[in-house]
Order: sequence, then C-alpha cells, then structure tokens
Amino acid sequence: MAPPETEPTIGELLDRNGISRRSFIKYCTAMASLLALPPIAARAMAAQLRAARRPSVIYLSFQECTGCLESFTRSFAPTIENMIFNMISLDYDDTLMAAAGAQAEKARAQAMEANYGKYLLVVDGAIPTADGGVYHCAAGRTGLDILTDCAKGAAAIVALGTCASFGGLPHADPNPTGARAISALVPGKPVINVSGCPPIPEVIAGTFLQYVTTGRVPDLDEHLRPAVFYGNSIHDRCYRRPFYDRGEFAKTFDDEGARNGWCLYELGCKGPTTYNACATVKWNNAVSFPIQSGHPCLGCAEPDFWDRGSFYSPIPTARWGKAGEVSAAEAGTLAAGAALTGVAVGVGSVVLARRRISRHQRAPHSESETHNEE
Amino acid sequence: MRTLGGIPIHVEPTGSPETAGALGAGLGAILSELATLLEALRRSGAEGAIDLRSLPLGPDDLDRLQRILGTGEVDIRIEANGESRIRETAVGGLWWTEHRDAAGALLAVLIEVARVPNILSPADEDLALGAARLRADAAAQCAEFGESPHGTT
Repeated sequence: MAPPETEPTIGELLDRNGISRRSFIKYCTAMASLLALPPIAARAMAAQLRAARRPSVIYLSFQECTGCLESFTRSFAPTIENMIFNMISLDYDDTLMAAAGAQAEKARAQAMEANYGKYLLVVDGAIPTADGGVYHCAAGRTGLDILTDCAKGAAAIVALGTCASFGGLPHADPNPTGARAISALVPGKPVINVSGCPPIPEVIAGTFLQYVTTGRVPDLDEHLRPAVFYGNSIHDRCYRRPFYDRGEFAKTFDDEGARNGWCLYELGCKGPTTYNACATVKWNNAVSFPIQSGHPCLGCAEPDFWDRGSFYSPIPTARWGKAGEVSAAEAGTLAAGAALTGVAVGVGSVVLARRRISRHQRAPHSESETHNEE
Repeated sequence: MRTLGGIPIHVEPTGSPETAGALGAGLGAILSELATLLEALRRSGAEGAIDLRSLPLGPDDLDRLQRILGTGEVDIRIEANGESRIRETAVGGLWWTEHRDAAGALLAVLIEVARVPNILSPADEDLALGAARLRADAAAQCAEFGESPHGTT
C-alpha cells in the first residue's frame, strides 16, 4: 500500500503545516487511548507515523443520509478528527470537492490510475441491487457499477456506517430496492466495516490511523469490524453496569430509577448485544453517550438493528449471544456471584417487563403508551 | 458559544453513599495500579501511565480520583496547538495530565508516572535543529558586526 516515494512523509507535511512535535505527541496520546494501546505507545506511534506516507483515499456515497460524512468531517475544528487529514490524501469525495459533473468523474479516474492497487476506497451507504440497480444512478451508471469499478484497484475498502457495513436502513424490511452491504458485493477484497449510525468520529479516525501506522487491515471481529473498537459490548463497558449487577432498573423514563441513573435494560437498552465504543469514547468531544443521557442504546452498530423489534422492549435473552459468553467467562472469577445475580435479575426483569406489556395490551391505554411499547 | 464545553453542565454527585460506592468501585483498582507503577519507576526507572478516558468511569469518578490524589507543588502549562496542563499530584511522581485541542476540547486525560513528564523534554531532532539555528544566527550576527563566530580576537 506504500504510496510513491516522491510524496512527502507525514512528518514533513506536519513540519510544513507548522504542527510541532509536542502537538503531534498530544494527538498520538489521544489516538493511543482510542486504540486501547498503553499511553507509553504514543511515542512509538508518533515516530512511525512521521516516517509514513499518506495513502490516497477515494470516497463514494450511495444509499445514505450523509450522517457518516458529517461524522467524518465533524466541525469542532481543529480537533483530533481533523488531524486525520494530515494522515490521508482525500483525492475524491463528490460531496466535499469543488468539482462537479464530468470534471469530478475525471478527477476520480485520475486518482485511481495514479494510485492503482494502493488507494483506500471508503464507501458510505448501501448498494441497491433490485431491478438492475436503477435505484441509485450517477453520471449514467448504477451504484453497483461504480463500486465494482472503483473496488478493482483498491488496496482495501472501508465500509463507513451501518448502511455500508450491513445494509442499514435501506436494507430494512421490506427492502424495496434490494439494498446490500458492501462486503457482499466486492468478492476477494479486504473490507473493514466501521458500523454505527453514524460511526463515532474518533473510531473513524482511529481506523484510518491504524491502517496508516501498520500498513495493513487491522484485526477484525466476526462482522469485519476493527476488534479494538468493537471488541466489547456497550453493556460490559457501561458505567451503569453496577446497577444491572445489583438488579436496579429504571422501569419508565420518569420513575425513581431513571432519576437515580439506574440500568436502562428494562426500557429496551440494546447494550448487551451491541458492540461499539460509545461507552468509553462517547460523543461530542466525550461529553456523553445515549445511556449517560438517560436513553437506552438502540444497537445501531449491529446488523439489522432496525428490524429487531421495538427499541423500547427488553432484549429476549435468547439473543444475548456474545454477551452471554462474557457472563459465562465471568463465572470463573470472584465477581461471578454479582454478575450471575445480575443475569438472573436481568432475566427476571424481562419477564416482569413482558408482564407489564401484556397487562397494558389487555387494558385500554392511551396513544402515548401504545407508541412507547411499539 | 463555539464548543459544547461552553454548556454549563454540572455533575451532581449521587446522593446515597450506597450508590456512590457502586459507581466508584473501579477507583481502588486504579490506585493499586498507580502504586505498582510508582514502585516500578523507583526500581527500574520504567515510566508508566494510566489512560483515564479508556476506563468505564462514572460521571463524578474523575473528580473523586482527583480529590484522593490531591494537588502537588508543580503546575505546568504547554501551548502546542491547544493547551496541555500537567499538574503534580500530592503523590510525588504522579502527574495529572490533560491535553486539549485549539478549541479547548479535551483530547486525553491520563495520570503519568514519571520523574519528569516525557512531553517536556525536547527530542534529539529538536536539539539538532536548535543548535543549527543558533549557529546560523551567530554567523549572521558576526557578519553584521565583523566578528569571528568564535569570539573577538
């Protein structure tokens, strides 16, 4: 993936832009934190990055809402995420670039030719495949045709957001456009899924940084997501986890439990089955994340999150999957008592919540209650 | 208001001691690790650090940890594309370090375990560049006043 040696190194670019060594060490310290590396590793990372060269990046958008690009370029300038633009050469992005029409298409062709076999292809949005792919066309070509063409010369593909990673909302039942995930359409190409609706800006930046620093696709989980960011469930890293272990749950959005910041499991929190970095990296410069703000996790980083029943119903325990394995592993530790009590209480909690719902369904109720349960 | 940091959010400590105990359970582990790192620093000179943003801490846990570690005598401010503040804690060798970007947003919070925090020392390349610059400045001065770069003879 090494770009031509005529390109300046990242270190030379930083010097040219007046970014001091201490500024860069600060940035690397923050990135090491994101990548779950020991803080001391920031020094080695800084040295390695300064000697590396920027990869060419071609960015394509298909069935999407542009939220992922908004996250990618979030405008709290100049922030850690903006620093990423010193690490990559963004050679084509039809939303951001000044050129349009034939000029834009020509720019993409030139970037692909100059960096064939080496560029990183970033894709946001799903690809419609029904009816010959007519539901997304640009410059007289279908999305599938453009993707297939651009994927040929890519060293790796980053599927940015849940739509590109798993189909997302366009793929939701009944999926009228035949929307599909990127990984299903580019056989033989390494794909990195950076899921989330949208993905966390720091996770996007961290994924690129990992690729630039090591020159290879990072370790991935079973959904092709970087394991370093998607290795833990929201539930396992949630600061409200102790309340779950103690069986203390908010039952409604305005009860004593909600006011005390207790676990939101009964209100439908998908934290136990959702793997993402929200609980540690958080959002908006680490101000908060949904659970800290009192709302259950929707599970937006997981496949088919839109079709998994109500956002406000507790997860059926049969779906716990990886989270259940974690609980089993915990059984061998001294903390097992508390954890297993938590699981038991959690199951009991589901039963109680279901009873409440059936009671509501039997009894006449207001429209707002209906919406809450739906 | 340019950043979210400008929104006056105030974290109320949770009232019941029972609740506070549940959320603060990780603080003991952090203190033990810091003690281990300090012993390693004394024994072998190995520096260490704990990244506080990667830990699942409650909203007021950081404040509690800061209160426990206390405040030392040294307070350093670095201006490098945003402010960094490094404060010695009341425990010698433990430095509470906060890095911010140019807009004031927090990038990293860590406790460094070192005799002097690493970021303060200039790198070898900076020393070489500095020496070269001073040599050039000295030569320019001498050329202006007709002196030898090694002093008047």
